[in-house]
Amino acid sequence: MNRRTILKNLALVIGGSVLLPSCLHSDGTSYVQLKHVQINEDQQKLMADVAETIIPKTNTPGAKELGLPAFTLKMIDDCFNKKEQEAFVAGLVAFQNKIKKEHGKDFGWLDVKQREAILLAIEKAAQNAKPGAHPDPVTNFFSIIKGQTTFGYTTSQYFMTKEIPYELVPGRYIVHHPVSKLKLKTA
Amino acid sequence: MANLNTDSVKQCTFDAIVIGSGISGGWAAKELTGHGLKTLVLERGRDVKHVKDYPTTNMMPWEFEHHGQLPSSVMEANPIVGRCYAFGEDSQHFFVKDKEHPYIQKKPFDWIRGYQVGGKSLLWARQTQRWSDFDFEGPARDGFAVDWPIRYKDIAPWYSYVEKFAGIAGNKDGIPQLPDGEFLPGFPLNDVERYFSDHLKKNYKDRHVISARCAHLSKPNQIHIDQGRTQCQNRDLCQRGCPFGGYFSSNASTIPWAEKSGNMTLRPHSVVQSIIYDENKGKATGVRIVDTNTKESKEYFAKIIFVNASALNTSLVLLNSTSHRFPNGFGNDSGVLGKFVAFHNYSANIGAEYDGFKEWTTDGRSPTSGYIPRFRNLYKQETDFLRGYACTFGGYRYQQHKYEGVGASLKEGLVKGDLSPWYVGAQFMGETIPKATNQVSLDTKLKDDWGVPLLNVSVDYDDNDNKMRKDFIEQLTEMLTSAGFKNIRPSTDHRAPGLDIHEMGGARMGKDPKTSILNEWNQVHACKNVFVTDGACMTSTSCQNPSLTYMAITARAANHAVDELKRGNLG
Repeated sequence: MNRRTILKNLALVIGGSVLLPSCLHSDGTSYVQLKHVQINEDQQKLMADVAETIIPKTNTPGAKELGLPAFTLKMIDDCFNKKEQEAFVAGLVAFQNKIKKEHGKDFGWLDVKQREAILLAIEKAAQNAKPGAHPDPVTNFFSIIKGQTTFGYTTSQYFMTKEIPYELVPGRYIVHHPVSKLKLKTA
Repeated sequence: MANLNTDSVKQCTFDAIVIGSGISGGWAAKELTGHGLKTLVLERGRDVKHVKDYPTTNMMPWEFEHHGQLPSSVMEANPIVGRCYAFGEDSQHFFVKDKEHPYIQKKPFDWIRGYQVGGKSLLWARQTQRWSDFDFEGPARDGFAVDWPIRYKDIAPWYSYVEKFAGIAGNKDGIPQLPDGEFLPGFPLNDVERYFSDHLKKNYKDRHVISARCAHLSKPNQIHIDQGRTQCQNRDLCQRGCPFGGYFSSNASTIPWAEKSGNMTLRPHSVVQSIIYDENKGKATGVRIVDTNTKESKEYFAKIIFVNASALNTSLVLLNSTSHRFPNGFGNDSGVLGKFVAFHNYSANIGAEYDGFKEWTTDGRSPTSGYIPRFRNLYKQETDFLRGYACTFGGYRYQQHKYEGVGASLKEGLVKGDLSPWYVGAQFMGETIPKATNQVSLDTKLKDDWGVPLLNVSVDYDDNDNKMRKDFIEQLTEMLTSAGFKNIRPSTDHRAPGLDIHEMGGARMGKDPKTSILNEWNQVHACKNVFVTDGACMTSTSCQNPSLTYMAITARAANHAVDELKRGNLG
């Protein structure tokens, strides 16, 4: 029995909300079998590292711990149309190549500061681009993975119970309510 | 019929048959069974039991596979229903998918349907504004369609009757064009809605912002508790079905009430092909159905038949019910069956911002919003278009998060943030003029799985609609500007008719059998034991949401049917 099979069985025993047939890595990410998009194990690992850079573990959980890489893959696989999926994969490959070319190694081997700097540079360039301009593949890849990671994060059980609690049953509608009473965390 | 034994005919014979279990069919069922009539309720879709069959009702956002978003496979397969605002990962099981029940769009028409017990009453926007004589006298005064055979005084007691049972939240506003009703406490207007309301009161004649009346139990009475319903809990997740019965639906209210009477037989999976007309007796004797599970054809018989299949499907059933007496469709001596279909024009809205009330906000959620009743062409014709429009009016603020950057600072930005300024939005709801050219008909070649011809739909906007929409933008812009709103942003869209989900007409009421299908009691002129009380019966559309009027018209007609049966006029 190889390591992957052992881990797979372990995942079955542990149960939990594994979204798709997957194999757990030792760092908690998983290799997800996709239905429509071809994204190999290395690329999925890269996506997980990007997601963890976007939403890192601090004194609160990060992307990997919250299963956001698997959620992002699921959203791309299920909710994106073919054209969007192809553009995403093209962007993913372009990002992979860019990192190799500029840094001589994979994204996962860079330290956190370097990773953040790379992503921030992409975001900054995008903000300075002409409005309405067609994003380049790398920017498209980044904006999708950031969009889905933050969407998954802000709609995660963790976030909606611990950060900004969601009320399923408010049981009230109060008008003329002082803002100070909302107990918002202000900027 | 020869080999059918008497027992099985007896088993298939009822006092009344109701075709459809949506918002009007549910009322027909409740009234008829309440008067002791053994009633068969036929529903083409599956059964949906209150609470038990609301699979998503208590799910948290993160419990949905895609956290609320629909897969592209669903969206690509459903361009029509996919455009409906209420169609989501939490509610898709209550909507007809595009491929399941095809129809033919002679002109673009988004036909939004809910084929299940309860129909679209599970999914409606729960707005319940009364009509007034400004509406019932409209066609006669302004010279379109035909005169309504009823006036406000005929229906007012029935509005009261259904409001008390359904539970309507609202305030007594004293506005002639939007008569007051039997209200539970209204949901309050928030600061910016109240401000605009005061501004209009001071600066305009006949322009108001009120709390929109809605079918929510803001404070239930005993009659609602007797239905097993409790107070609205402000979830705003109504499209999932409400476990509290906080809003009115057939499923939470009329259907279980009819069930409790012991007089109702509910038969889901029953597509009605046609109404059976007995040439000798000169009346309808029953209906032909197909069981969608077994594909078996069956006939059911009754003294009276209520057709509540939803506006366009009611026209379809009637058009498909041909006989020697009615070669062109049931009761269609006039030739107007399927014609004079109209709808509500929802193709514009306007947004704006208000710099004020910074210290104030709202807490919790409201199931309704503000409402601006019609103010155009009320007492006299004052514009270059006929009729008028109402609009919703809602104000809101939200926490503004920072999405820039990555890492710990992004995490912080997603949690922290100041409140936005107040934003407001108004949705245009325009009356449209029924015309013979806006119509539905049976396709001569294509049929559905049950042998029923597909429906051709040919409904479109006209010049009156465009002029009215322009006026909405001009008037609202002026009203918002004079009240000090900033960043006013009108927008129009190219939505097809139908997406308003307020299609009406096709078997209109009228005084003259030569120009209408139904009389003042919703009886088919030429066959008095058939009643049509859903959207198909509407002579004109007003600009108020129609469901409350369907309920009142249905209760009125059902009680008339019971009286007529007792008098021996229908049996």
